[in-house]
Amino acid sequence: MSTVDTTSGKRSALAPFAKPLAAVGGVLAIVAALLPWVTFTLNDGNWPDKSTLQFFDAPFAVTGFRWHLLLLGVLILVAAFAPIPSRGRVVRALGWGVAVVSFINGAYITAKGGGLGAITALDGATAFGSVAGLVAGVLTILAGYGYGITPVGEWKFKPPTPVAYLVLLVSFAGVLLAVAAMLTTGGVGTSNPYAGAIFLSFLGFAGGVLGALSGVGFIRWLSVLSEEHRVFSVIVLAACALLLPFTDAGNEYWMTVAANIGIYAATAIGLNIVVGLAGLLDLGYVAFMGIGALVAANFSGAAAANFGIELPFPVAAVIAAVVAGIFGAIVGSPTLRVRGDYLAIVTLAFGEIFTRSAQNDIGGMTNGSNAIPGIPALSLFGKEFNRELSIGAVKLPAGVLYYILIVLLVAATMAVFANLKFSRIGRAWIAIREDEDAARAMGIRTGQAKILAFLIGATLAGLAGAVFAHKNATVSYESFKFLESITLLAAVILGGMGSIPGAVLGASLLFVLPEKLRDFEEFRLMIFGLALILIMRFRPQGLIPDRHRRAELADEDVGGAPVDEVHAASKEAKA
Amino acid sequence: MTALLEVRNLSVAYGAIEAVRDISFTVEAGQIVSLIGANGAGKTTTLRTISGLLRPASGEILFQGKPIHNDPAHAILGEGIAHCPEGRRLFPRMTVEENLQLGAYVRKDDGVQADMERVYELFPVLGERRHNKAGLFSGGEQQMLAIGRAMMSKPRLLMLDEPSMGLSPIMTQKIFDTIKELQSLGTTILLVEQNALAALALSDHGYVIDLGRTTLDGPGHQLLADQRVRDAYLGEAH
Amino acid sequence: MSVLLQQLVNGIVQGSLIALIALGYTMVYGIIQLINFAHGEVFMVASYGGLATFTLLPDDLKKSPAVALPLMFVGGIVVAVVVAVIMERFAYRPLRNAPRLAPLITALGVSVFLQEAVRVWYPNATSNLPYPKVFPEGNLSLGTISVPWTGVLLVVLSVGLSILLQTYINRSRMGRAMRATAQDPDTAKLMGVNPDRVIVLTFVFGAVLAGVAGVMFGGYLSNINIDMGFQNGIFAFTAAVLGGVGSIRGAVIGAFIIGLIKTLAGQYMPGGTQYDYVWIFIVLILVLVFRPQGLFGEPERVRA
Repeated sequence: MSTVDTTSGKRSALAPFAKPLAAVGGVLAIVAALLPWVTFTLNDGNWPDKSTLQFFDAPFAVTGFRWHLLLLGVLILVAAFAPIPSRGRVVRALGWGVAVVSFINGAYITAKGGGLGAITALDGATAFGSVAGLVAGVLTILAGYGYGITPVGEWKFKPPTPVAYLVLLVSFAGVLLAVAAMLTTGGVGTSNPYAGAIFLSFLGFAGGVLGALSGVGFIRWLSVLSEEHRVFSVIVLAACALLLPFTDAGNEYWMTVAANIGIYAATAIGLNIVVGLAGLLDLGYVAFMGIGALVAANFSGAAAANFGIELPFPVAAVIAAVVAGIFGAIVGSPTLRVRGDYLAIVTLAFGEIFTRSAQNDIGGMTNGSNAIPGIPALSLFGKEFNRELSIGAVKLPAGVLYYILIVLLVAATMAVFANLKFSRIGRAWIAIREDEDAARAMGIRTGQAKILAFLIGATLAGLAGAVFAHKNATVSYESFKFLESITLLAAVILGGMGSIPGAVLGASLLFVLPEKLRDFEEFRLMIFGLALILIMRFRPQGLIPDRHRRAELADEDVGGAPVDEVHAASKEAKA
Repeated sequence: MTALLEVRNLSVAYGAIEAVRDISFTVEAGQIVSLIGANGAGKTTTLRTISGLLRPASGEILFQGKPIHNDPAHAILGEGIAHCPEGRRLFPRMTVEENLQLGAYVRKDDGVQADMERVYELFPVLGERRHNKAGLFSGGEQQMLAIGRAMMSKPRLLMLDEPSMGLSPIMTQKIFDTIKELQSLGTTILLVEQNALAALALSDHGYVIDLGRTTLDGPGHQLLADQRVRDAYLGEAH
Repeated sequence: MSVLLQQLVNGIVQGSLIALIALGYTMVYGIIQLINFAHGEVFMVASYGGLATFTLLPDDLKKSPAVALPLMFVGGIVVAVVVAVIMERFAYRPLRNAPRLAPLITALGVSVFLQEAVRVWYPNATSNLPYPKVFPEGNLSLGTISVPWTGVLLVVLSVGLSILLQTYINRSRMGRAMRATAQDPDTAKLMGVNPDRVIVLTFVFGAVLAGVAGVMFGGYLSNINIDMGFQNGIFAFTAAVLGGVGSIRGAVIGAFIIGLIKTLAGQYMPGGTQYDYVWIFIVLILVLVFRPQGLFGEPERVRA
């Protein structure tokens, strides 16, 4: 907004101090990394990563969060003195990284160790690491505002194809390592009492670095690059995903988690077609996944199945997808007359009708609250998908075949999404999302296009549901209730509406977090609810915004807070 | 002596589009001042900014020497500025009486009933149909009600946006007569009109706004005689 | 015949409960065009607020219904109002000019958050909690049909409060300001109406009614659980839409229709009470598709 700029006052006040603030912040972050963090051994054992090190005792022994802080500190110093575009954004993102890492560790030590004594001074031992880190973070964030939040840097540089391939290869390999690290960092919440803290701290670090990369323009450049070499990117990305079993994450537990994430990611991408591309809020979406799962379960030959027939999985999966798609078209048909929030309520009503009917074992298809258990695992050439796999000398963990199947499923949904997005119908959806009346006036058959969005989204969900049924061996209506729809919606919104990497990231975060934060399992849904509120308030475009959508949602990126009246007026002016 | 209303170097933008660029004008107490200009010149935007519905990108608005451009819209009426908006904007599902009562919403004194009777005297047609819904009235009657509603707050300054829009010539004449009468009763008036001829004939001072800037100003009769104004706004072919 | 009569009466009692909640939906939608999805949870939270108030009372007061019951109403209402005001101020107000779906998604978030907050933090909230027996006991018998006195109280409160609300909105200065803001928010500002104050007041009124409903729900059904908000919220929303969103009278009549559908469908439709919700959802869909302006709404209202 060029009209009112509330940050300009702060900016001018801080501008002269930007460089010294960043320098102090960077140095302080490094110092914080080397300071002791806790004065005594906590109830659940030592705070990880040698955090009781004395000042400069063993500067080369820093690992874990202290290593992250050290890195962030160095990056801040580099950003402060090297000539880089959009310095303010970069420094601000790094500052947030430092602040979050320090806050998470400090807060956990305080909470788990009983009081502020743990992070300050006790019995002669001092441990101001978290305090120093927090101060460093705040100073650096202020420095970022001091530099000024200018638009994201744009890189005109266009590398020749081989170089581009190399860049993409390295970047995606980096993504693979980051994903593996994200899964394994801190281990499992049930076995490591500090898993949650370690994981959140890692997220803070990763978020800071990603924010900096995005601020400097690298991410945008990379996404342009990958769009130019789309086929190559998809292949490399799929290859990277298939390599995950060979990393640290290659054990049964993480394969299972990754497979579950994949199922929900595929479903979330389907939902993203409806919500993100066509702008139709679907609050009963998980019902289609349920329909797919129930159809597949009934054709699976499980003892509780309704039909005596057992179909091979591919056939059953296609039937599941088709049936879900038909229901999708039915649920979508009111879009011919209903719009916006009322349409959302219609979809919610359909979702509830599904839940109620399934709960009451409608037509004997769902087995009600007894669920349909004992769905056989998939098998290929006599090899069951839930067993271990060894190819020659390489032993792969159990569940790896499901993982691979689901990676292919996600890749397929992504391909469908990407192709639709850039197709004629995709442009029609976007036009409808922006202004339905104008789209209609331009000759777009809006009714048809909207029903098609529902149909395609539901088909993908039905397919994912069929895999879900076999993967989990049990199908119960409980897995497809309203709150699951909300969770999927949260994944889409958190990641960024209309954005593919966003949907995958959103699904990953929402389904990895509960694995990591076992103490928070209880609070899972509450946090999702809060997340929806906070995202809508502070970052409605999501973590990885769709590039097209970014323009319309991200007022803040231009700088300055909008005054609501001006905002309203600009809408009026457009009308 | 300070002017009743002073607008200094006002700019207003809708998003990236500047609708008003650097407009300045003053309204002295007791005057009728008109802003004239073509469609989209920024006249309505200026009035909406004065009444706080929009925020200026830069510049100041002083009322009785006091800056008001940061006040919220609902506080502006309390300062003594009433705004009779473009298109009248009555509350269509409320009666005449309720519309007038809303006009007096900020008043706490006992004179509301008497002032309402005065509006009915000024516009007898409103008095006869005081319990009818405003949405059922003709354009001219709605304009009377809109002016009456704005008068109910007893403003020092009354801003009228296109009061003649969509009215028959006879009705337009009646509205302009009313404006003159309101002035004689002591109300200062800021008038925005596309009907430049009628507006300038009535005005003590006029400003010509073009593409978001004040391009000309002077006493109403002088502007009326100005060839540039006649060329641009009074539809006289060469 | 007596079964039918009995179900009609039950339907009216349930309709009264739904009406109290539906008024909150309809008023908020009328003013800011927001489906305040979390309103059902405000009702739920109020019910727990009333229960908590009773739990906190000293033992001798617990035994005296004449003191305990009014205090529970006060407690439930206060909790509902506080929740509603916080929600308006921090969740909805910042989004007032955001795209339409943003506040709806926020409302979903608030709804999930409130429900989970009660589940996690209210002692034993994961199971049904018994409501204290401070309500008038026994039944009013009319021939073959009988209504619990709590049901009678519910009908009286519901009808009485709706009439009071309708009168306030039609007659008072603030009520006029509310209607003005609903019809044309910008022009209402030009009249000196502070929209924030009007909107908060709307939420407060809705919360007061939801508070009464929450406590009465406990009295009428003698158990409460955390799902009550979502279910009854949907019923109430359906009632508000059926009556025409924005219309007080419509919401009340819509609520009675929904109450009747629920009891009659449970009695006479295939599937019985297990499917009574499904019929209501079907009605909701049909109304939204074929008569979105409801029975009493303004047909010209355009919805983006």
